[in-house]
Amino acid sequence: MSTGVSLMLTLLFLTLIKSVPIVYAALGGVISERAGVVNIGLEGMMTAGAFSAVVFTNLTGSPIIGLIAGLFFGAVLGFVLGFAATFFKVDQIVAGVGINLVALGGAAYGLVLIFNQPGASPQVTQLAPEQLLPQITVAETAMIVLGLLCAFGLSWFIYRTPWGLRIQACGENPRAVTDAGLNPLRLRLYAVVASGALAGLGGAFLSICEVNLYSDGMTAGRGFIALAAVIFGRWTPWGATGAAVFFGFFEALQYVLQGRISWLPSDAMQALPYLAALFAIAGLVGRVRAPAADGVPY
Amino acid sequence: MHQHFELVRRLRVWQNIMLGREPRKGMLVDVDGARSRVAELAERNGLAIDPDALVEELPIGVQQRVELLRELEREPSVLLLDEPTAALAPAEIATLFATVVQLAKRGTAILVVTHKLQEVIDYTTRVSVMRHGKIVARYLTTETSTDEIARAMVGGELPQVAQREATGTQPCLSVRDLSAGVDTTTVSDLSFEVSAGEIVGIAGVEGNGQTALADAIAGMIPYTGAIELDGSADALKHRENIGIVPQDRHHEGLVLNWSIVENAILGRQNLPGIRKGALTNWAAARADAEAIIERFDVRAASADVAVRTLSGGNQQKLLVGRALLGDPRFVLAYQPTRGIDVGAAALVQSRLIEARNRGSAILLISFELDEILALADRVLVMFRGKITGSFSGADIDRGKIGRLMAGLT
Amino acid sequence: MKVVLRVLAGPAGALLLAFVLAAVAMLIAGVSPLDGFGALFSGSLGGRRPIAETLVQTTALLFPALGVSLAFRAGLFNIGAEGQLLMGGLFAGAVGAHFAGPGWLVIPVLLLLGMVGGGIWGGIAGWLRARFNASEIISTLMLNFIALSLAGYLVAGPLKSPLASGAETAPLLPSGWLPAFPTIGSLSFGDTRLTISILIAIATAAVLSFIFTRTVFGYELRAAGEAPEAARRSGINMPRMTLIALALSGAVAGLGGAAIVTGVLHRFNTALSPGYGYTAIAVALVGDLNPLWVCVAAFGFGILEAGGLAMQANAGVPKDAIHVIEGLIVLVLAARRYFATRATGAPV
Repeated sequence: MSTGVSLMLTLLFLTLIKSVPIVYAALGGVISERAGVVNIGLEGMMTAGAFSAVVFTNLTGSPIIGLIAGLFFGAVLGFVLGFAATFFKVDQIVAGVGINLVALGGAAYGLVLIFNQPGASPQVTQLAPEQLLPQITVAETAMIVLGLLCAFGLSWFIYRTPWGLRIQACGENPRAVTDAGLNPLRLRLYAVVASGALAGLGGAFLSICEVNLYSDGMTAGRGFIALAAVIFGRWTPWGATGAAVFFGFFEALQYVLQGRISWLPSDAMQALPYLAALFAIAGLVGRVRAPAADGVPY
Repeated sequence: MHQHFELVRRLRVWQNIMLGREPRKGMLVDVDGARSRVAELAERNGLAIDPDALVEELPIGVQQRVELLRELEREPSVLLLDEPTAALAPAEIATLFATVVQLAKRGTAILVVTHKLQEVIDYTTRVSVMRHGKIVARYLTTETSTDEIARAMVGGELPQVAQREATGTQPCLSVRDLSAGVDTTTVSDLSFEVSAGEIVGIAGVEGNGQTALADAIAGMIPYTGAIELDGSADALKHRENIGIVPQDRHHEGLVLNWSIVENAILGRQNLPGIRKGALTNWAAARADAEAIIERFDVRAASADVAVRTLSGGNQQKLLVGRALLGDPRFVLAYQPTRGIDVGAAALVQSRLIEARNRGSAILLISFELDEILALADRVLVMFRGKITGSFSGADIDRGKIGRLMAGLT
Repeated sequence: MKVVLRVLAGPAGALLLAFVLAAVAMLIAGVSPLDGFGALFSGSLGGRRPIAETLVQTTALLFPALGVSLAFRAGLFNIGAEGQLLMGGLFAGAVGAHFAGPGWLVIPVLLLLGMVGGGIWGGIAGWLRARFNASEIISTLMLNFIALSLAGYLVAGPLKSPLASGAETAPLLPSGWLPAFPTIGSLSFGDTRLTISILIAIATAAVLSFIFTRTVFGYELRAAGEAPEAARRSGINMPRMTLIALALSGAVAGLGGAAIVTGVLHRFNTALSPGYGYTAIAVALVGDLNPLWVCVAAFGFGILEAGGLAMQANAGVPKDAIHVIEGLIVLVLAARRYFATRATGAPV
């Protein structure tokens, strides 16, 4: 096999792997924003997922339980944001910023409290680390497949089921939902909890599927990139998934190019996915329309 | 059923009507079942509708129909209609009430909240009058009159509206070949003039281009054609020459968290008397606020209270007072008495006539035909973005105007 | 009772809550709150040196918090103070390493460069919002990461000091160092890290307060934030206001970066901020977006930041507990409505 082909294969597999956490978080963003809550806290929910997955894997020795813990603690933070954003009519952006501070600080605090070492956790059991293909593990493959199933399921849920219809109505005009005899605040809360669960799963992927430990700042803004993916994907499950893969590609590209282009050092290339997200949201001038009540407390 | 439609604009008609009571097929929505249910409902009530249409693409009158169908789908024993005719032409009003009266005959209790007294007389059996949150009078409709109801509404005699005085006919605002707007609310090839000392009323049902016209004059949207004040397009950009009463006082006219003083200079913040170098002349702003409070009888504890705490009527008086401050050459009044009580409305109308008497040219856009007929020297009828009729003085004919508003000739 | 409730719902309640939560955090770490608070306060207020360090932290938070306040008052969610702070420091540090001259010239020029650096970074977000309606929330966040990459690349490469082992610029010449805080009576701060930058920060707050309340520009900026549609109809050029407000907001944060470079580090490296730009959002909210109260809030958070280190060293409570508390304060304070509406904002 020539270097060119193997390089392309590396890029392909790496794109798949790097996309996974962004896909989960972006799907979380879609469900939350479709219900009318902007979830800036995705980053914090990923952090919570990543950290708790490691803690519970360490505790139980079972990375599967770690994965479930990641999902659960993401959902817990989703509940906090959802509750604040609905029943307390909190400004969603400000509350999301608060969630991020709590999660990042909490994980750092927890590292010292639980493992007595700042910066990074000790190594734990990785989830199914056997190589399935040369570049990709069993766990990673499973999570890729699960991510696609989630995109499919969410799309089906939003457009085909009664609950999806109500969630859509919530994000467009919550008063209409009230008029129909339903409680839009509760619907929004459920949506944000689901959003947090998905983001938590994405975070857990980072810590126990891709590697086998948690380190401070390991989510590196992927939750924010996922928000950009939601916009770039026009608030649809498949659109957001596609956009997440697009941003994942740039993250993969950065790894593949490292050390290969002498005039472009790795520090500068780390900016690639963020630049891509910046250009993506700026390039949509006048062509996107958010759900009408997105970000508006009810 | 609400005055402001509570529909989900980006969903389809059937999705709106069946929201919350979706027929199911397993875990999914039974789309065909929902569609046929809506079609059957529309058929039974004589309200024609396409179940698959997107609500946002429907004209306002049809959206109203969707709203009504949504309520009817629940087969209610009591139906509450809050200002149901606010956005309807006279002909559509008749159709709506025909349906409603049928429902009543079939045993539904109907409660209509409206400020249009003629509707009360024409369609109801009993009437209660509310003032300051209390019911102050009850009548059998057959035993009362619009005059009696109106007196009960204000709690005494109606305030006298100012008398019109003779004024000159020097053209002030001229609009030529104006085209503006997007999507459903556009105007095309409008031409008309408003003279100094004249009130020109734009009659029409909501959504026939009035907003596009107002926004074009206010410089808020791009347009083609010419809008000139005293022969100059530039003069219109000078804030001291024009006063604008926007349609939506909460979003377009006032900063609700601010005091009366701060609001008194909104839009005028760069006028010579208010701006001193880079600074705001707060003394002048306070003087303006006091003047508005005095002349327009704005009931507030002080000029420093947040506008949010004022009643709708007092907010509107502040808004109109600000627009009329300094007797501008031209005044654009868009629904100047929208949603306020009869007393405040009479005061606002009087001040508009007084401004006219002092020589201001006034363009009055209102969806209330009665208001237009009471105030305007000349009436232009707008239908689908065009002027379809012009009446002045003795030619002003309520019936003809009403027909033109509905697109009939 | 009502008055008490209102006070508790406001910033005072947030501070009270902070202490309760801090006590909880100490208990979780197995430390008596008495010992924990003892360490916290003796490490932040117990003497000349701790107070000086508290004021250094206050200053570091105050500049970005003032920048954030300005943007929030204009209805713009600038979450990019971190990146703007970094860019301000980068501009000052890059030029300062090679700029020889008298202090009265060098220092103002470096501070101004900091404003330019932060202003450009904020201005990019402003331009993207004004021109393309790109959410400033996402763009400022992305720009934080981009600033970190850019600065990381520059100090490891083109701007790296050949003498330093780590990634940092060459040190500033002493003429570019901010003077120490003036001696008050017998109290001298010459041996601490405290400089006149705290005075510059307070002066900046005073200027901003004046702009908000007295000038037509400030009036228009507040109108844009409180009621965007009414502001537009009052003749305010909203895209222009967006650009100016975000650029100014970035400039104030950038000034803070330059103040850290000229006052504390005397060189630039990416460790300039341990997250001041994010904490600044909490500071701005606790200060109710009012520049003068933001000063008070910054002092309160300065105590936490400075005392947190002492608490970790002397009482064994991880200093990151402080950041959890800050986040919870933001969450609680967010329960107040800062904006009449965001319906007219950019898609997020």
